[in-house]
Amino acid sequence: MKRFLAIFMTVLLLALTACSSSAGNEEKKSSDKDVVEINFFHRWPNEPRKSFYDQKIKEFEEANPGVKINVNSVLNDSYKEKIRVLVSNDDLPDIFSSWSDSFAENLVSSGRIMELDNILAEDSEWAGKVIESQFAGFTFDEKKYGVPFTVDGKAFFYNKEAFKKNNLEVPKTYKEFIAVLDKLQDAGYETPLVEGLTNAWAISHYMGTIFQRVVDPAVTAKDYNVETGEFTDPGYIKGLEIFKELTDYMGDLSTAIDHEAARNMFASGEAPIVYMQFAEVKMVEDEGMKDFGFFDFPEIEGGKGDSKALTGAPEGWMLSKNAPKEAVDFLKFLTSEETAYDFTKTDGQLNAVQGAVDEGNTSPARLEAYELVTNASATTPWFDNAVNINIADIFMRGGQTLANEQTTPEDIMKEVQAEAKRLKK
Amino acid sequence: MQRRKFNIIPVLFLLPSIALLLVFVYIPLIQNFYNSFFDFSVFSQTKTFVGLENFKNLLADKVVSVALLNNVKYAIISVVLQVGLALVLAYILEDKLFHRVAPFLRVVYFMPVMISISVVALLFGFVYNPQMGLLNSFLELIGLENLKEVWLGNPETAIYSVIAMSQWHSIGFVTLLFIVAIQKIPKELYEAADIDGAGKIRKFFSITVPQVREAIFVNTLITITGSMLVFNEPYILTNGGPGFSSTVMSVHMYQTGFVKDNMGYASTLAIIIFLLTAVLALIQIKLSRTGKDD
Repeated sequence: MKRFLAIFMTVLLLALTACSSSAGNEEKKSSDKDVVEINFFHRWPNEPRKSFYDQKIKEFEEANPGVKINVNSVLNDSYKEKIRVLVSNDDLPDIFSSWSDSFAENLVSSGRIMELDNILAEDSEWAGKVIESQFAGFTFDEKKYGVPFTVDGKAFFYNKEAFKKNNLEVPKTYKEFIAVLDKLQDAGYETPLVEGLTNAWAISHYMGTIFQRVVDPAVTAKDYNVETGEFTDPGYIKGLEIFKELTDYMGDLSTAIDHEAARNMFASGEAPIVYMQFAEVKMVEDEGMKDFGFFDFPEIEGGKGDSKALTGAPEGWMLSKNAPKEAVDFLKFLTSEETAYDFTKTDGQLNAVQGAVDEGNTSPARLEAYELVTNASATTPWFDNAVNINIADIFMRGGQTLANEQTTPEDIMKEVQAEAKRLKK
Repeated sequence: MQRRKFNIIPVLFLLPSIALLLVFVYIPLIQNFYNSFFDFSVFSQTKTFVGLENFKNLLADKVVSVALLNNVKYAIISVVLQVGLALVLAYILEDKLFHRVAPFLRVVYFMPVMISISVVALLFGFVYNPQMGLLNSFLELIGLENLKEVWLGNPETAIYSVIAMSQWHSIGFVTLLFIVAIQKIPKELYEAADIDGAGKIRKFFSITVPQVREAIFVNTLITITGSMLVFNEPYILTNGGPGFSSTVMSVHMYQTGFVKDNMGYASTLAIIIFLLTAVLALIQIKLSRTGKDD
């Protein structure tokens, strides 16, 4: 009996260790010589995008009999984690979705992402259709590493009815904007402007835009780079003062709610203005709010920045360095005008392919947003993607305490400067 | 004394659990210690050796002191309410007066323990909502408008709001432990006290408290250790904000490692948390040995 037990335990142990190793082994690919397999990884296991991509894969496979596409998808935050693990070894999928700027830059720094310049140059008919300004977030060292697909931007959404009732015009400058907020406050709105400040990223969106309006682009370009950043320009302090002034209109409430609550307050007509992404238009429409418009963050008097640039960053597709040429074909298929048109029709989010957004597949409100995006002189990435996360965190946390009057813009900048110095090492 | 023959069987039985402990507890612990001397991110495959740099940063990090202080606040309030109040609650529930309703009340107090803390945190997000939240509406209803507060948005109240939720969530559990302890006290002691003419308060201090001394001790340590490790409550309710006002050590560690991508320094913070809890555990082992007299 003892002997039996001993053997039994040994077997159990062996089984335990065997489990872990067998899980790591990948199935041998049944390499029928003619069939090329493409691994496709995206971040939308939720509807409607999952079905949309499943459908498109089927279409592509039918048109290209020699290709088989293995698809895999996980949701937003898990995607970020999983892609980090995948990029650190050779299991990187052939084609996958990516955010722009620092997220993309991190992936590119692994050296496992394909440069797309030659591919884009070879097929100018396809490449020319993608809105050029959207490539910026995927371009590093003047080489393009991704093809932008969905576009987004941030603008003030305003309640047209509230504006009409109080005889208000869409503000063109920051001074006018403050005047509008004052009038709305006098008209009885407790929070003429609302934001969910518990979401740090919502603060970063404000700051990114404000700095972009106030500070000279050459200075921000230098400061946003970890290697050269100093953040000594007085424009940042002015920017933080402007942010502080805006939070005064948001009331105490905003420090305790999240962005979703703020959006709902706008949709219910309780707050007349909110700073939101175009990706949220459909959500506001679904809540029953129909009569609203947008305006870009107004020009700030005396600002040295570009007053016409739009804050917003695209998401797009990347290829692995070792991807077969069929994956390139699939990329072209995914970003073709036809696919893009269907995409916006099904999903509602706008895309970066010219000719793929019109009255036929989108609402008038979203079309207005689309025009803002495509007419922008330049796009500024989301601030938390544009600068090192340690810097962004000081600004975001600082924004929260600033709204609570627990700190001053000068103190925040001192902290930022110290951190910038530390990171430069 | 007879010398026992070495027997392989018990060792084999212990092996799987030792192996699992090694893989999931001891090796990560040692690895964490090792990592704290490096500077690295999740993306880069290279680690740079920085020696004691991370520990130097620790001393300069203002957030650490805020977070530690918050942990201490957490511990003190939890001990007072979860151990102190729970003991009183248990005593009342065990009183003859409540004989009929006690089983029902026990369920009522224990119910929150069974709800996942994430759900509780989301729920309290609504309770604390400054505009339509339960708490502010209630204050308004009873005429205490001037006490209305932006509970989670105000740096002065945020951490206390989080702690309060935690008390609501766990007091039932500690109460139940005390009820069990009180039920083990011999009835004769109370009967004798009755004959001597002792009142309820007198009996509480002279009989109940000394008799459940061991339980008080264990619960206090569990509560303090729990307060040092607390993560879910502040993370979900406030994410440590506004600013860093409701940040605790584990939230700071998580954000340093997984948000700011500074794994080396996060490991250093983890060591601090480990040391704190290890010291507490040692005190527990040491003291519980002396309390073996009953």
